[in-house]
Amino acid sequence: MRHGVGAVLVVIVATGWAGGRSALAGPIEFNRDIRPILSDKCFFCHGPDKAERQADLRLDTADGAVEDRDGSIAVVPGDPDASLLVERILSEDEYEVMPPPESGKQLTAAEKELLIEWIRQGAEYQEHWAYVPPTRPAVPEVKDTAWPAGDIDRFVLARIEAAGLTPSPDADRVTLIRRVYFDLIGLPPTPDEVDAFVSDRSEDAWERMVDRLLASRHYGERMAIYWLDLVRYADTVGYHGDQDHSTTLYRDYVIKSFNDNKPFDQFTIEQLAGDLLPEATTEQKIASGYNRLLQTSHEGGVQQKEYLAKYASDRVRNFSEVWLAGTMGCAECHDHKYDPYTAEDFYALQAVMADINDYETFKGGNTLPTKRNPEIEALSPIDEARIAEIESELTLLAGRLAEGDDAARQEIERQIKRLESEKASLQNNLRLQMVTESIKPRMIRLLPRGDWLDESGPVMEPAVPHFLPQIQKEGRVTRLDLAEWLMQEDHPQTSRVFVNRLWYLFFGEGLARSLGDFGSQGEWPTHPKLLDWLAIEFVESGWDVKHVVKLIVMSRAYRQSSLVSEELRERDPQNRLFARQGRFRLPAEMIRDNALAVSGLLVERVGGPSARPYQPAGYYAHLNFPTRRYFYDEDENQYRRGVYTHWQRQFLHPMLRAFDAPTREECTSRRSISNTPTAALTLLNDPTFVEAARVLAVRVLEQEGSDTDRIRWLWREVLSRTAQSDEVAVLAELLTQNRSAYETNEAAAGELLDVGLAPVPKELSAVELASWTAVCRAVLSLNETITRN
Amino acid sequence: MHPYEEYQRAMTRRSFLGHASLGIGAAAASTMLAGPTASAMDASAVGGLPGLPHFAPKAKRVIFLCMAGGPSHLETFDYKPELERMDGQPMPESFTKGQPIAQLQGQELKCLGPRYKFRRHGESGQEIADIIPRTAEIADDIAIIRSMHTDQINHDPAHTVMNTGTSISGRPSMGAWVTYGLGTESHDLPGFVVLTSVGGRNPQPIASRQWGAGFLPSRFQGVEFYSKGDPVHYVRNPAGVSRMQQRQVVDAISRLNELRYQQVANPEIETRIAQMELAFRMQQSIPELMDFSDEPRHVLESYGTEGSDGSFAANCLLARRLAERGTRFIHLYHRGWDHHGDLTRYMEICCGLCDGPSAALVKDLKERGMLEETLVIWGGEFGRTPMFQGKGKDPGRDHHIRGFSMWMAGGGVKGGVTYGATDELGYNAVENRVHVRDLHATMLHLLGIDHHRLSVKFQGLDTRLTGVEEAHVVDGVLG
Repeated sequence: MRHGVGAVLVVIVATGWAGGRSALAGPIEFNRDIRPILSDKCFFCHGPDKAERQADLRLDTADGAVEDRDGSIAVVPGDPDASLLVERILSEDEYEVMPPPESGKQLTAAEKELLIEWIRQGAEYQEHWAYVPPTRPAVPEVKDTAWPAGDIDRFVLARIEAAGLTPSPDADRVTLIRRVYFDLIGLPPTPDEVDAFVSDRSEDAWERMVDRLLASRHYGERMAIYWLDLVRYADTVGYHGDQDHSTTLYRDYVIKSFNDNKPFDQFTIEQLAGDLLPEATTEQKIASGYNRLLQTSHEGGVQQKEYLAKYASDRVRNFSEVWLAGTMGCAECHDHKYDPYTAEDFYALQAVMADINDYETFKGGNTLPTKRNPEIEALSPIDEARIAEIESELTLLAGRLAEGDDAARQEIERQIKRLESEKASLQNNLRLQMVTESIKPRMIRLLPRGDWLDESGPVMEPAVPHFLPQIQKEGRVTRLDLAEWLMQEDHPQTSRVFVNRLWYLFFGEGLARSLGDFGSQGEWPTHPKLLDWLAIEFVESGWDVKHVVKLIVMSRAYRQSSLVSEELRERDPQNRLFARQGRFRLPAEMIRDNALAVSGLLVERVGGPSARPYQPAGYYAHLNFPTRRYFYDEDENQYRRGVYTHWQRQFLHPMLRAFDAPTREECTSRRSISNTPTAALTLLNDPTFVEAARVLAVRVLEQEGSDTDRIRWLWREVLSRTAQSDEVAVLAELLTQNRSAYETNEAAAGELLDVGLAPVPKELSAVELASWTAVCRAVLSLNETITRN
Repeated sequence: MHPYEEYQRAMTRRSFLGHASLGIGAAAASTMLAGPTASAMDASAVGGLPGLPHFAPKAKRVIFLCMAGGPSHLETFDYKPELERMDGQPMPESFTKGQPIAQLQGQELKCLGPRYKFRRHGESGQEIADIIPRTAEIADDIAIIRSMHTDQINHDPAHTVMNTGTSISGRPSMGAWVTYGLGTESHDLPGFVVLTSVGGRNPQPIASRQWGAGFLPSRFQGVEFYSKGDPVHYVRNPAGVSRMQQRQVVDAISRLNELRYQQVANPEIETRIAQMELAFRMQQSIPELMDFSDEPRHVLESYGTEGSDGSFAANCLLARRLAERGTRFIHLYHRGWDHHGDLTRYMEICCGLCDGPSAALVKDLKERGMLEETLVIWGGEFGRTPMFQGKGKDPGRDHHIRGFSMWMAGGGVKGGVTYGATDELGYNAVENRVHVRDLHATMLHLLGIDHHRLSVKFQGLDTRLTGVEEAHVVDGVLG
């Protein structure tokens, strides 16, 4: 049964099609228009996986598509009528039609039309965009030359103009400062900082603020939140007894590296292969702790061979997701269904990492922390840096001792004493850290179907995926070679993957939306040229992360309002054009940090061991080997930033969980953003937030003025903006209600003020303080408080 | 954006055109999600996916009684006279060669005969061991599957397989899948609830990832209810805050959120208002749920509990109360079945704690006419070896994955059936083998879901609970 394609097309066109290519798109382009369809609907059976391939037909390569298979040709360029593909996708016979009904896949009319039109136009294939090295594209011309603040904006604006739209206006200055504070340091601005920025009308006010934030030591903490998600940093082993392991120095390393703006190539190399660097420093050894972050099991009855295989696979999965945005996990059992990664590629990468000593892990018992040799005892890189700073200050001070009078000398001596005691206490802060030790590489076999019991597979030589640029070298490929290979200038993935994720951090969406999948099932980038431009900029700047971050936040695109116009809601509901900023709920850590910051409780010390905030009693009851009790910190550690929270993989702190922090069993390149009753209960009742509210209430009562004045002050402290009078009225009513309740029940006021460790100033009226606590609880629980606009 | 979120967002936007009122709760929120075309049957009316169920469901909900640690099939549902005969003799190597082994690695393998007598029970004459007499009373209501098998031999990964169909981390648990697909009929309780109890040998840890949502939106993750402290995290008002005052705080928040909505029209705000309201109602409904004072004496006695004290008995009664309130997936874990040694001593403890309440639950549901629409599943993450293990004073058994037993009841399952068989020593499932993914396919089928078609794109793949390998609905246990 053969249809005339023309007749069918008429039907398709007549029925019309929504979705697919929108009016925003140009002529047919394989990578953008055709590959996603073939990949999703056809590659499962006609793709890279040779074991699954049906009818010996592959559609992922041009050669495969045009091959004459016993007289039938799937794709005849320029001739849809002669193409078997067209016949089969249009067939109405349930045994003929492709994809077959039992696959659960269907082509839409629009997709059929695209495929036919593509063949008519000559069926041109393109190499997958993410496997071709980026080149610096020309910066496009724009009509509105006044809008762009730089080249990024020209790329963004060109697409907006092509769609017949205009960018959103700049956000107001209060929104802007809040946005850039949360984005760059993860903390809110103080009202004084807001005032200073709002009133500073100089040309470079924005740039100076950006520079100041990039230089802040809190920048590294903010960036670490994301990096630790990628590399699945946690404080516990993950499997079975979920014992603690020792790795907090690695976290300090990450924070310090971002703060020092360590070039991303060096940052990468130190983590993957710091131990292999000539005369590796302690810091580089700590960095190599990356290879030990995976989940391990200390269950009795673990079979060594099985778990060596599990660990090796875990590492390849994480490596490929972090640096390649590759979903290589699929290739553990079979060739990838959609991408060119083969099972051989998967095990060849295992072989590259086969020198990592995992044997010691099996000796770690059910202790807290468990022992996961090789470990080193060392100072935090952050403390090391501070000690170096102190030493140079001491040298300076020693030189000044001879000068000045007695009073001045005594003052200098006092300073010397203070610095020496700080140095001495820092030098005591030795902590354990798992590190990588290279031993004679284990023999790695390809495991058929991923089955560790099956020894029939070939022994694998270490290598990088076969279709990517190869490592030219005599002898065995090492982890160091692998890391350096990633940083080759023409590597198609490393730079794109990372700049794309930076864009996501500052817009809420990537330029390629599939942050973790640059394969053919991932979404085609909305702005491929801008992505390449940024990637090149990143590499040419010497892998300078702050440079790229600054480029992004200095752009006009970044500074747009996040309010959605009626037109944009209609035309671009998902903000694919970036004709406005994103708006999204803050990450879990920042929700905590914000409450602590505005209440004045936040302890800003950077780096250090993990912290244990209040947590519901009994939450660890299901842990065993050994049984676990949680003791919350009763010192200043109680008030440290969320990034330092003890990360128990099996029972992540309920507050972090309620706001979508991942358990970090696997790489997380994008956190989901939920909106649940559990989150609401956390804001309302978690002692951390109740305590923050009552301490904030103390600050309220320290302000002079009427109730209304104080409400306005509170609003500015928490939300940076001025309260509207209807907003003030709501809170005034809440205050009155609570006053009358607590006046008749003073004991209840005392109970509320008893929540948390922070002392209650005795001179304040309990009734007043409790009533204002209610008001502060409300303000800390607002949607606006936890949203980045 | 996640496809579900995308859908939800579109729907939320749409709802804004139609609904003017705010301060709505879950019921209204679910109507809001339904959109104009959803029929009464469509799961999207209750927060599930449009187009589900795929066909008329037999079961509306699932109660999964997980016997964590792995109970012995050879002491419960799978009688092996040949194993009895070979008690103490070497285990034939033809069974064990090249097979994965847990704690018995490198040890001499000897047969251990069944420790209990088996008898036939009910009109169906199902063979059940004497150690679970109350389960024997419901023999005609349950379908026993003797031919289960799974992939992983250590507890943690085996639970992961039982819950997610694979040992790879990061996948959604079955409770999350089911609530994602079907939503929930409970208005002020979570759709997926987890209850745990302890008692027996060396309770194995159980990780919260076992009820995780994986790559599904996190609102589908199981919510654990506790017997000590707050029944749900942060469900209790702060000290010194009355219910009236909490109401006032919530009202103030919602009014302020509403004012903000008027300024910025962010649809997230409306959801936030609805969830805040739901949270407030949960603060009332959860304590009510946990309070058994409205249960008649004979019901408490049949389960063997006085109140929600964290026992398996109390959790079974809670499961029924949750089922009555429309909760979609209720997952109980009883930790204590890891009987490497002192098998009889610990079987007595575990069966003493679990046998009666499991049977009482089935009977109670039946008496209330709820069994027909409630699927009850009983079993562990794996079974135990026919081989002897000598940890402890008396014999025990090691982990075993090549053959073990589970039972199912209600919700469209045919009672009084024994399905499948292991070999003469109870080692390998040999007849009508049922893999964990077949169990999942069957469960989904009873819920009106074609397991092929409940999928979410993750890392490029249409990922399903039943995975990429073939999975079959076990027709032999369908009513």
